Amino acid sequence: MSNDFYTSSILPYAGIIIKICRAYTNNQEDFEDYYQEVCLQIWRSKDNFKGQSEWSTWIYRLSLNVSLTLLKKDKKNRNHFSSDTLPAGLVEDSHVFSDESLNQLYSAIKQLSEIDRAVILLYLEEKSYQEIADIIGTNQNNIGVRIKRIKERLKKKLNLKN
Amino acid sequence: MEKSIETIWKEGFLESDKLIAPKLNNLYNQKSKHIIDKFNRMFRINLIAIIIGSILFLIYSIFSGIPIAGVGVFIILSIIVVVNKNLMNTLGKIDKNVSSYQYLISFDQWMKKQTSINRKMSRFYYPAFFLSFVLGFWLSNEGQLLYNEIINNPNEIYFVNGIPVFWVLGVLSITGIIAIFSGKIYNFDVKLIYGRIFSKLDDMIADIEELRK
Repeated sequence: MSNDFYTSSILPYAGIIIKICRAYTNNQEDFEDYYQEVCLQIWRSKDNFKGQSEWSTWIYRLSLNVSLTLLKKDKKNRNHFSSDTLPAGLVEDSHVFSDESLNQLYSAIKQLSEIDRAVILLYLEEKSYQEIADIIGTNQNNIGVRIKRIKERLKKKLNLKN
Repeated sequence: MEKSIETIWKEGFLESDKLIAPKLNNLYNQKSKHIIDKFNRMFRINLIAIIIGSILFLIYSIFSGIPIAGVGVFIILSIIVVVNKNLMNTLGKIDKNVSSYQYLISFDQWMKKQTSINRKMSRFYYPAFFLSFVLGFWLSNEGQLLYNEIINNPNEIYFVNGIPVFWVLGVLSITGIIAIFSGKIYNFDVKLIYGRIFSKLDDMIADIEELRK
């Protein structure tokens, strides 16, 4: 991967990749591995980008797909209990942001199912229902209802009123 | 006032330090550890399976009247296990306090050395397996009965000093062919068991080399 490509085509969107990779990993080592794998896949698949969507949307889709694939592989490869299969209270998350509310929100997001995590991340990144449906590969009509349910669950976990 | 989920998300990420991208260097640590651990596990399981298989075959051969074949196979497999156990011990000595790239390169070198030793050994052990089976059968009760039948029909078989020449030539030819193709048989065998790991290892080294450019 050339430095130019990384600097011009990936780095400006690193925030997207970081947010997604953080949502699917529980420690810095895993996070760095996921981040790197996403970058490599973007570089390898760059010729497949036909410009039918925004470059950032394409990166979202790829990041999610790579993260979900790695998550499945990890679950399969690890003989011991993975943190994803453990009850929420037992999940030890070594990712720490200085903003405590953000830590709590991330922690709550990580307790969601893999697809719900993807949906809420895209929603919080202000993607339209159509874009979310395109990225996830589902019907736009279901997205609104799903987001509402996810938000309710998150609010409950975070003890928010509205 | 209580913040909404959207506000927590937005405000939380306002500070740029929260989104520092990791450097794309030396990031294969965990992956390389995984692949080498996986190989180690498979290698160990393979050796244990060989030990169990050789003992079971030895017992079976004794009860089925071909003990020579059983003993032969047991000795050959034991040699393979001892050699590979020693190789496995040297794998544990690879320095882990180096970069992922150097670690993978060391592992790759170890792998090449290991396969080269086993490939050389296979020139002897594949033919030796075949000869063990032939000898085992020939010296078994059934084999001796067959030999006696042949002796009684000397016109059908060409004997020199009581040795069925063409049969012996046939066995030697097959042994020679097995010896010639032993390298290919070994490669097929290795590819079948470790093929996926090897190709992953190659991909990973190629990726890191590309990243290092």
